[in-house]
Amino acid sequence: MKKIALLLLFVSTAALAQKELPNLNLKSLDNKSVNIKSDFNEKDKVYVYVFWATWCAPCIQELDAINDVYPDWQEELNMEVIAVSIDDARTGKRVKPLVNGRSWEYNVLLDTNQDLKRSLSIANPPYTIVVKNGAIVFEQAGHAPGSEHDFFKKLKSL
Amino acid sequence: MKKKLALGILLLSAITVVAQQENDSIRKTKFKFNGGLESNAQWYLNDVERKIDQPESPLRSNNYLFLKANYGNFTVGTQVESYYKEALLNYNPAFEGTDFSLYWANYRSKILDITAGYFYEQFGSGMLLRAWEDRALGINTALRGGRINFKPTDGVSITALYGRQKSGFHVSDADVFGANADLDLATLFKQDSFGLTAGFSYILKNAEIDESVVDPKFDKETPAYSGRVGFSKGGFYAATEYNYKGEEPIYQPTTGLDYDFIKPGNALLVNLGYSQKGLGIDATLRRMENMSFLSDREPFVYQSNGDQLATNSLDYNDRVLSFTPALTKQHHSNLANIYVYQAQNRVNIDVTTNINKTGEIGGQFDVFYNFKKGSPLGGKYGTKVALNVSNWFNLDADFEFEDENGAYKPDYDAKFLGGGEKYFSDYNIEVSKKFSKNFRGNFMFINQYYNDRLIKGSFIENVVKTNILFAEGIYTFSGSRSLTVGAEHMWADNDRKNWASLLVEYNHNMNWSVFVMDMYNYGFEEEGNLIDDAYDLFKIHFYNAGITYRKNSSRFSLGYGRQRGGLVCAGGVCRFVPPSTGLSFTISTSF
Repeated sequence: MKKIALLLLFVSTAALAQKELPNLNLKSLDNKSVNIKSDFNEKDKVYVYVFWATWCAPCIQELDAINDVYPDWQEELNMEVIAVSIDDARTGKRVKPLVNGRSWEYNVLLDTNQDLKRSLSIANPPYTIVVKNGAIVFEQAGHAPGSEHDFFKKLKSL
Repeated sequence: MKKKLALGILLLSAITVVAQQENDSIRKTKFKFNGGLESNAQWYLNDVERKIDQPESPLRSNNYLFLKANYGNFTVGTQVESYYKEALLNYNPAFEGTDFSLYWANYRSKILDITAGYFYEQFGSGMLLRAWEDRALGINTALRGGRINFKPTDGVSITALYGRQKSGFHVSDADVFGANADLDLATLFKQDSFGLTAGFSYILKNAEIDESVVDPKFDKETPAYSGRVGFSKGGFYAATEYNYKGEEPIYQPTTGLDYDFIKPGNALLVNLGYSQKGLGIDATLRRMENMSFLSDREPFVYQSNGDQLATNSLDYNDRVLSFTPALTKQHHSNLANIYVYQAQNRVNIDVTTNINKTGEIGGQFDVFYNFKKGSPLGGKYGTKVALNVSNWFNLDADFEFEDENGAYKPDYDAKFLGGGEKYFSDYNIEVSKKFSKNFRGNFMFINQYYNDRLIKGSFIENVVKTNILFAEGIYTFSGSRSLTVGAEHMWADNDRKNWASLLVEYNHNMNWSVFVMDMYNYGFEEEGNLIDDAYDLFKIHFYNAGITYRKNSSRFSLGYGRQRGGLVCAGGVCRFVPPSTGLSFTISTSF
């Protein structure tokens, strides 16, 4: 037991490795298996993973707001938003109609039993992770209404 | 020793987290290490007006440290939990002290995924097996054992597992075996024009039979299985799932485990929908009969302790294999979360209250529509409308209470299609509209019907009908500053009658935000039939205020206020919390 503890201590102090997404597969809205790492690995492209749920009002606000300016962002920067729904079996059936009903243009993935959320130690949605060239380059817990402009400036600077 | 070590690791790692975040250097290593820390603390205070005394340990916290190390295909991980000095009020008593809560080792390649130790899992919609975690609700039903997942080719996924279900820092006694196959037939047969999936699950629970039972009329092994198919073409989709739970003695809260009352259970789920850009229509129907599937034969009992009454694991949604959430809209409005429906999956035959139920039947219907920019109803920025309706009823069933000699011997026969008395309904419409570049609003109308007597099984006839109006405006200033004002009112015809609520939140930038809110209850009769009449028998302000700081992956918040006693719900499951007043402090970070 003591050895394990020491090992953990060593690990937690020594490792300062670059942070990456875990190698996990999630289902897309049309039920295709998508690898969150290898299916989003275009060189120099900025991938924005937004963790959200149908019951999370600030999440929907954030994704609505980005959706309004999404074509402009994509024109100016080689970027893509991946909206990862953490809805479980209670609200999961509402994801597809909601995404279409709000005219969202995003690639939507389903983290039904929250394996990805847990693996990244995300406490609550909304939570945003920006990945470029395989490395997590920015993270933001929560969302402030109206911060889209600042967020895009940040994306361009990465 | 083990506990001290765990506490030490928790503290040291917390320091390391801070240190690590200072260091922005990126080194290319194959070895990856990451994790997260979450801490929820409360300082319970005396509230003279509410006649609430602080508990014996007023300062309490739930702390979680998650650590994971990865090298190529191998990952090892652990979660240390600390409940100091005790867990927050009304958490599962199984959460006590500081210890390793989870540990696991995993190998994952493209076709093989093997885990030893603790793991989470869900088969199908989870109605027979879901092992999951929700810290806010104090749920962690991970299995401890082993699991193999095999994906031989695109479109085929096969899982086999064995484990015992976690409860606090222990596991339950019963063995759980499971197997699951998911097939994407359209992919397998290289069809692009439509989608077709099928899945099968099998679960076997092996729980010892108490020695006192003479000639048991049931097996110690309970099998359960489910099958599901899904089809989609263009914007249309349809899916169905059937679950069957083998015969086992029924546990009822009032009469306990009845070794002579042996029944199987089943559940049918049907989902149909159509969606295209700008429109989504969805209908979900479900019928459940005797679908409570526990990891032991009966709930684990926690003896009364001080002013805490005796409770059992079921009160904390613990030692439960099945996940049968309420299929209703999870509202963002505060007041719409006072009368919350909880799915009725259990059998209850009670001659004293004459409340007899065997499950539920009903459905939920959704329409989402986007009025385009420039259309008459869309205006300059478009208008989004969401309509949601749900209705849930008891099953139509014939009941028996006695055998031919007049002794208590319950039995039932539930009709396949047919609803009994109504448990709950919710009719609501939500409109979101952007009015100008800087101003947007949300409006909601909600009508609810809540049959407390039937849902909770109490003596008192108490149906509550409510109407709720909710309006929220968000104004953004330059530079990420914004002000949110939310006002709502609930008119209720029964119980505590009317409520009003106001929320004001100011976001200074991406990092800082503050809020104040108040919920005010008025208009009720103190002598009336109140659902929970033990506390707050006066017109009361439930005020709360807080400040939050967020930076990158970290979030800190400090709050002060009054917590209403009742159900706190998240992800479809509710937790009862006692009324309290105090300070709260939360930290969460990942690294």
